[in-house]
Amino acid sequence: MKTTRREIMMFAGGSAVGVLFTPAPWRLITDTALWSENWPGVPVPARGEIRAKYTNCSLCPAGCAVRARCVGDQPVALAGVSGHPLSHGALCPFGLAGHHLPYLPSRVKQGPVKEAAAAVAEGIAKCGPAEYVVTLDLRPARTASWTYRRAMAAVKNGRYVTPSVDSSVAVDLAKARTVLSFGVPVLDGWGTPGNVIAARPGFRLIQADPVESRTATMADQWLRIRPGSEDALAQGLASTVTHAAAAEASGLAESEIAALAARLEQNGPVLVLGSSRLESTGRTVVARRETPVPTEWHKAAPVSGLASLPDGSVRVLMVDESAPGEYLPWNAIQKKLVADNPVVVALAWSREGYARHAQYVLPVGVYPEVVGDIPPAVDSVAATFRLSVPLVPAPESCVKPEEFVAAAAGLSIADTLHERADAIYKTGRGALFTCADAKSAALKDVSAADFWKALNAGGCWIDAPDEKAPAARFSAAAAEARPVEESELPFVVVLNRELTPASPILSKVYQESNLRLAPNTVALHPSCGLEDGTQAVFETLLGKCPVRVTLDAGVPAGVVRVTASPAVLDLCAAGARAKVVRA
Amino acid sequence: MTLRGKIPFLAGLAVALGAGWVGFPHAIYQSRPQPVDFSHKVHADKAGAKCEDCHSFREDGSFAGLPTVDKCAGCHTVPMGTTVAEKNFIDRYVTPNREPQWAAYAHQPENVSFSHAAHVKRANLACETCHGDTGTSSTLRPYQVDRISGYSRDIWKIGNMRHGMKMADCVECHRRNSLENSCLDCHK
Repeated sequence: MKTTRREIMMFAGGSAVGVLFTPAPWRLITDTALWSENWPGVPVPARGEIRAKYTNCSLCPAGCAVRARCVGDQPVALAGVSGHPLSHGALCPFGLAGHHLPYLPSRVKQGPVKEAAAAVAEGIAKCGPAEYVVTLDLRPARTASWTYRRAMAAVKNGRYVTPSVDSSVAVDLAKARTVLSFGVPVLDGWGTPGNVIAARPGFRLIQADPVESRTATMADQWLRIRPGSEDALAQGLASTVTHAAAAEASGLAESEIAALAARLEQNGPVLVLGSSRLESTGRTVVARRETPVPTEWHKAAPVSGLASLPDGSVRVLMVDESAPGEYLPWNAIQKKLVADNPVVVALAWSREGYARHAQYVLPVGVYPEVVGDIPPAVDSVAATFRLSVPLVPAPESCVKPEEFVAAAAGLSIADTLHERADAIYKTGRGALFTCADAKSAALKDVSAADFWKALNAGGCWIDAPDEKAPAARFSAAAAEARPVEESELPFVVVLNRELTPASPILSKVYQESNLRLAPNTVALHPSCGLEDGTQAVFETLLGKCPVRVTLDAGVPAGVVRVTASPAVLDLCAAGARAKVVRA
Repeated sequence: MTLRGKIPFLAGLAVALGAGWVGFPHAIYQSRPQPVDFSHKVHADKAGAKCEDCHSFREDGSFAGLPTVDKCAGCHTVPMGTTVAEKNFIDRYVTPNREPQWAAYAHQPENVSFSHAAHVKRANLACETCHGDTGTSSTLRPYQVDRISGYSRDIWKIGNMRHGMKMADCVECHRRNSLENSCLDCHK
C-alpha cells in the first residue's frame, strides 16, 4: 500500500486536532511557567538553621528593638521585641520590611573613594582664613557624630553642622493629659510608635492641622485651621494676641478658640508640639541628660547651625546621609559654598538626597548592614544607648562615613562604640535591658564584658531617671518669609512627612494603593480643576519638578499636599506658596 | 470525502488522543523510589504513633518536617522484626547515623513560604486535608517529579486527596474561608 502525501497531511491534521483534546499542551504551558519561576538566579530564601538575632532599627530616630528571624545567616522576617521598655514590642511597617533595604535596586554601590579623599585633602590644604571645612550630620548625637566633631576640631577652620534638632530636650508623654499638636504626625511616625501607643490612653489629643492627616482622623479633636496659621492660633491660646485675631487668621470660630483655651487650662499638664509660641506645662517637656562619652572626646568642635556660617565660606563639605534625618534644603547649603570649585562629598546609600548635587558620591552601608548607635528618641525622657547590629554584611565597596571624615582630618580612631560603652559603664547608672530574655538588670550588677556583649545582641542601656531634670522648651525654628502674590502661586504647601529609606515592596504596595502619598505625587482638592492622575508640574519660587496629581477631598481648596522628599524640600518649606499646572 | 479518505485523519486523531491521555502522563514524570520501605500504617497501628510524634513542631513553633534518623534510632537501635527492609534500614542508616534522603511528596518549590504552624496550630487543619491517606499507607510509593517544572506529582490532586496543593488550590481555600490571599502571604 502506498502512502500518499495527502494521507500524511491528513494524519498530521488529525494528530494536531487530537492533541488539543488531551492535557498535554495545556500541561506543557503550565509546566513551562512553573519551571521559569524557579530558574537559577531567581532569589529564594536561604535554607539552614532557624534562629533569632536581635538588633535596633536605625531607619528613624525611634530606634525600635528588632527580633530578626534568620534562616542560616539570612534575616527573613523582622518583628518587635516584647516587653521592651522603649518600643513596647511594636515595629512600624517600615521597620518590618527593613531587611529588604540592602537589595534596593537604586542604591549606590560604587564610588570614587580615592578621588574624593584626594579632593578633600586638597580642599583642606587650600582652605583660606575665612573659609571652612564642614561636616553636615543629618542625625546628631550618635557616636559617629562625636567622631565628626573631634575630626572637625582637629582640622583648621573645621565646623560641625547639624539641622536644627535639639537632642537635649525630650517630651514625657506619660505625664501629659492633653497633647495639642500643630501638624505634628503624633500617631503616624512621630516619636517611638510603641511608646506613643502605650501612652495614648492617658492623654487627649487635639490636632490642629489644615489637612485631614492620618493623625487628624485618629485624634480626639481635629481643628481644621488655615495653612500657615499655626502660630496665630498658638498666640491666641497663649493670650499674646486676641482670640478674635487668632480666629480671623486660623478660620476657627472665636468661641471655639476660647473653649479650647479653657480646656487646656483645665486639663493639664498640656504638651504642645509643633509650635514654640505656646509653652507646655507640668514638666511634659524636660531637659535630658546626654549619653556619656569618654572625657577626652569633649575636646570636640561645638555643634553649629548652618545659619552660623557666612555665605560663600564653605570650601569643603562632607555630608553624612547614612542615617536618615532632617533634611536641609540644598539652596540654603549652596549659598554657603565658596564660588570657586567647592568640594562636596555625599556619603549616601541613595542618589535621591544631596547626592544629586555632590561632586563625589560615596557608597555607604544601609540598615541592617552597618553597626552604629541610635540616639534617644524625642519621647525618651532618659538617655539611652543601643546599637544597630548588622544582620547582613555591607558590600565591600562601601565606606564608613566616620572613618572617611576622620582620615580626612588626620584623626586616628579606634573602636569608638566600645569606648563609649565603657564610658557609660563607668558611670554605673541606669539599667541594661537584654532582648533574649526581655529582662532588665541594674548596670552595676553587670560586668563590663557582659554589658558590651549584651549591647551587641540588641540590648539597650537606659539611664536612671533624672528627677531633677528641669522643664525645658524646644527652640524655635527660624522661618524665612517670602511674600508673593497669591495669584502667581495659588496653593499653600502642606508637607507630608516622608520616612526614607523604605523597602521597595512597601513603596510599591503603599504607593500603588494610595495609602501613602508617593514622593512624586501631590494631593489637591477635587475642585482644583485638574483630573486625578494628571501629569503636572509643581512650581515654587525656587524651581519646579514633575509630579502626578491625586485628588483628595481631605485636602482643603487652596492647599497642595506634597511628600517631603529631598527634591520637594529643595523647592519649598511648609507654608510656602506653589502652583500646580498641567504638564 | 469518503470514509476511506478520512481514515488517516481519524488515525492521527486516535494516536494523538492515546498519546496525550495515556503516554504523556507517564512520560512527564520521573519516578524514584524512597530510600526506605517505610510503613506509616505499622507505626500508627502497632506503635500507636500519631503524625505529630515524628513530624513535630520545634520550640519556636516552626515545623521540623521530616524526622531525623536520631528520632528513628529512639526505637530502632536494633532491628524490630525480621524483615529485610528493617535490616536494611538499621544497617544503612541507623548504625552509621546517616540520614535517609527522603523525597517529600508535598514539597513546595523554593519560591513558596508555607507555614505548617499557621495551618495546623491556628487553623486546626487535619493532616489528611493536604496529605491524603499518606498517614495510613503501608508502603511508600515512588516519588514522582515533573520533568519540566521539577514539582512533585502530589502538588496536583492525586489519589484520595481532597484537593491539590497548587497556588490555585491555596487561594481557593483561603477565599472560601475569607482569609488573606495576597501575594506576599506566601511569596515572601
